[in-house]
Amino acid sequence: MNNLLYKEFKLAMHPTSVIFLSLSAMMLIPNYPYYVTFFYTSLGIFFMCLSGRENNDIFYTMTLPVCKKDIVKSRFLFVVMIQLAQVLTAIPFAYIRSLYDLPGNLIGIDANTAFFGLAFLMMGFFNLVFFTNYFKNTDKVGVAFGWGSLVMTIYMIIAETSVHVVPFMQKYLDTKDPDYIEYKLVVLVVGILFYSVLTLGAYKKSVRSFEALDL
Amino acid sequence: MSVLAVNNLCKKYDRFELDNVSFALEQGTITGFIGRNGAGKTTTLKALLNFVHPDGGEILFFGKSFKVSEFEIKQKIGFVAGGINYYPKKKIKTITATTRRFYEKWDEQAYQHYMERFALDENKTPDELSEGMKVKYSLVLALSHHAELLILDEPTSGLDPISRDDLLDVFLGLAKDGITILFSTHITSDLDKCADNIIYIQHGKVLADSNIESFLAQYKVMEFSDEHLSDDLRSKLIGYKPIKHGYSALIKSIDVNNIDEKVTDADLESIMIHLEKE
Repeated sequence: MNNLLYKEFKLAMHPTSVIFLSLSAMMLIPNYPYYVTFFYTSLGIFFMCLSGRENNDIFYTMTLPVCKKDIVKSRFLFVVMIQLAQVLTAIPFAYIRSLYDLPGNLIGIDANTAFFGLAFLMMGFFNLVFFTNYFKNTDKVGVAFGWGSLVMTIYMIIAETSVHVVPFMQKYLDTKDPDYIEYKLVVLVVGILFYSVLTLGAYKKSVRSFEALDL
Repeated sequence: MSVLAVNNLCKKYDRFELDNVSFALEQGTITGFIGRNGAGKTTTLKALLNFVHPDGGEILFFGKSFKVSEFEIKQKIGFVAGGINYYPKKKIKTITATTRRFYEKWDEQAYQHYMERFALDENKTPDELSEGMKVKYSLVLALSHHAELLILDEPTSGLDPISRDDLLDVFLGLAKDGITILFSTHITSDLDKCADNIIYIQHGKVLADSNIESFLAQYKVMEFSDEHLSDDLRSKLIGYKPIKHGYSALIKSIDVNNIDEKVTDADLESIMIHLEKE
């Protein structure tokens, strides 16, 4: 698996996957739909799969002494690492934003503990929709990303709207840390749990689809 | 034990079918896999390596099932589809640095030896290599992990005659060293120069699997004028077709006795052309 991960970083990774980590700094924008940062993470993943298609990455990898299942596993491991890196790099910027002597984010949810839980959930949905489609037919990366980005867009609209219209979200979750931290920590833990379950489910389904795929 | 044994390989598509494809390769032989475009050559080769899933049949590499021993088998084979067609913008040294990690028997000395022998520059990208050099780089990768079986899908397509001849010399040298080679091609003159055996596939079925000399000896090419043709002789002709001065056809060697027409030895190309006319 280490060798496949090495291949992911050395050959398959698209530069935007790393460049987009710098977009974690968007947490510094006083008023902004912060979920967009994680949309860019997904865009970097899409570019990687797209450039993989153009570079015949799957063909190259299939000629190596590896099992098909491990090709899927290495891609998922890489993606999880990039998504976690995006969260980790976003946290310091979110903290700096919380120090502004300004009201919280007027557009959507504040960049707080609950936000990261909800961002994890969004990435879990993306992984489920994008990868289960992608590994059905690795040539149709655009279709997979179309569905993945549609799900993320709907999620963002619902999540950002709910902090304006759902009293619980407005009162407890869309607040600066550490206010109501106990509620926000629950959202964070549930978000991480759902992210793990959705990503694991996506991996298992992707392995089955990819095994059945004629290349 | 055969290096590769394929028994009753089947794969059905909407408009095409591999129908009970069977053959075996012995160590140190060069086998040409021939057939016209769309006959099923690439599909068969892809099925060998699990790129496509056969509907039925058995594939044994070195006596072991690919399904059970995929990892072990891939350590011992090299698959080259044309030239290198992956990561065309990456430097060769980057591709090599990644590839070598996957092979237990990677031999750096052998790698350097073949890179020098084929005059390949590690700092170039595949895009900067000619088609012939791309094939050679693919071979270097295969030979550097001491592949015992090379499966090559049309390695000589797109090469000029001198590069092709050069590559065939390489194949002959490798076979002498005990490496088994299976290569698909529709350039039959390549096989006249170096193949021990041929497997001829037509519409997804193996039409012939034979030593090349005995396959060639089965047929003669006859040239004739149509008006001189008796009905008896006409019934023996295969793939009757017009040529510049009259007609030509294939005829089985056993049917050649007492014929006045011009009869010559058949080469692979003329056999293929006439058989495909049937």
